[in-house]
Amino acid sequence: MKNTKLFTGLAMLLLLAGAVLIMVPLVWTVCMALKPDSEIYLKSFFPSTPVFGNFKRALTSIDFTRYLWNTVKILIPNLIGTIITSAIVAYGFSRFNFKGKRVWFLILLATMMLPGQVTMIPQYLIFRQLGWVNTAKPLIIPAFFGGGAFYIFLLRQYMSGIPKDFDEAARIDGASSLRIFSKVIMPMCKPVLTAVGIFTFMGVWNDFNGPLIYLYDSKKFTLALGLSFFKGLYTSKWNLLMAATLVVMLPILILFFVAQDYIIDGISISSGTKG
Amino acid sequence: MKKENKKKATASQKRENRQGYLYVMPWILGFFLFTLIPMLFSLVLSLCNWDIVTGLKTVNFVGIDNYKNLFQDRDFLRSLKVTFKFCLISIPFYQIISLAVALMLNMNIKFMKTFRLIYFLPSIIPVIASTMIWSQIFGESGLLNQALRLFKVQGPAWLNNPRTSLYALIIMGVWGIGNTMIIYLSGLQGVNEELKEAAKIDGAKSHQIFFRITIPMISPTIFFNVVMAIIGSFQYFTQAYVMTEGGPLKSTLFYNLYLYIKAYKDYEMGYASAMAWVMFAIIMILTLIVIKSSSFWVYYQNDDKI
Repeated sequence: MKNTKLFTGLAMLLLLAGAVLIMVPLVWTVCMALKPDSEIYLKSFFPSTPVFGNFKRALTSIDFTRYLWNTVKILIPNLIGTIITSAIVAYGFSRFNFKGKRVWFLILLATMMLPGQVTMIPQYLIFRQLGWVNTAKPLIIPAFFGGGAFYIFLLRQYMSGIPKDFDEAARIDGASSLRIFSKVIMPMCKPVLTAVGIFTFMGVWNDFNGPLIYLYDSKKFTLALGLSFFKGLYTSKWNLLMAATLVVMLPILILFFVAQDYIIDGISISSGTKG
Repeated sequence: MKKENKKKATASQKRENRQGYLYVMPWILGFFLFTLIPMLFSLVLSLCNWDIVTGLKTVNFVGIDNYKNLFQDRDFLRSLKVTFKFCLISIPFYQIISLAVALMLNMNIKFMKTFRLIYFLPSIIPVIASTMIWSQIFGESGLLNQALRLFKVQGPAWLNNPRTSLYALIIMGVWGIGNTMIIYLSGLQGVNEELKEAAKIDGAKSHQIFFRITIPMISPTIFFNVVMAIIGSFQYFTQAYVMTEGGPLKSTLFYNLYLYIKAYKDYEMGYASAMAWVMFAIIMILTLIVIKSSSFWVYYQNDDKI
């Protein structure tokens, strides 16, 4: 008994030390963001007097509002497209015994294993042929075609857990399958739909590769791309760079603190350790 | 009577087919448009030479030349080496640390939720934001060197030195292992407590319980995490692109970064497509090796074999 107490005590100490190490870069980022220009290269960890004006300076030296607006313009349709179409497809897979269903579902699972690089170049060439390069379309349109295999899988698993009695009851009342989907199944799927929405939000907000390939014009940049562009322009103004970094991170941090349980559950399900 | 029933059955099956396909149609269309057709296109493209700038007229069928040339391309071989080195060092390193943290978090410890939150936090931070933060930390007069100076050590500019650049990226990666850690934690929570209790009553020592019960029980989770880490290493991009641009002296020229350079800087779309297929093949082979070896070390609960 004494032994286990010692063990947990030691674990506690180690965890605490690790937690401090993890927080240092974040605290440092906040401190750097608040430093006056003259203290960027000083040895002190904390700013002598916090300069909150750095945030305003950072956000006005790049076209922040434009980048934010560009990101939102990609984000909203992605959320709509992903949530609606992935739920529709998942409903098809969970409620209808159509011919070839098994094969299609296996293909769906297989596409999750395919590295995106294999389809990236031809997709780019096709979008280029369509004249969609340097527009947000390549970053939006695909979301309306099922929104991603993982989300379909997640939703299908959840829907399969909803007893068919609910469908039957509604059908006896004369409801069509579309009505059952929208009035019975969808409301019951709120927790997974929320998870899908959160993952989509984080995916679009954090996406760097997609905008990098498709958007050339700095007027069309998203926040992630704008931030790296900003780094190229102000290489030594670390206080402003860190201020901008914090602002770009902020919505994700808020989302995380509000919805951490959904995020953690979703990740556990993706690995098959839960679900 | 029977015949009529059958007719009814086929009619309802037909309706089932029609409705089912209607609902899954968005994904099937998407599969053809964004996966299957591009895949075939990519395969053909990998057998061609094509400089995108001069347009479709200059497409030139070259057979497997692209694939042959890859293995004579010193930069390609370099990118393979960098990626494998990253795999070999970072995967054991990350797996052990995240498993250790998960084990400690699973010990019924106080403030478990708070710790879990802190350890997980960095992995949700946008990659571009964490690359900014760590660019500063690893800078010549960045946080790390300022801390080292307290011990009278003058550190290098970590990212500008070919001997330290790759290791700097590996260390930065530890910060983001929250994802892996959460998966281990969730695997550990699925380990049968009764089994551990029974072993304890039988007089098993705690290290015996760990190696004979806990590790075998979470081996599918280890398997999953290792495969994901291999895939992740081959897709490693943003950090190398933003922080080091593959340098210095190509010491951080990751596979995926080189692929990007070939496709979007040099516009050699055929060559880059060949690289994508080689990447796919390597990932498949490595995954197969892990799967093959897994029959020795992965234990599935519903297996007859014990």
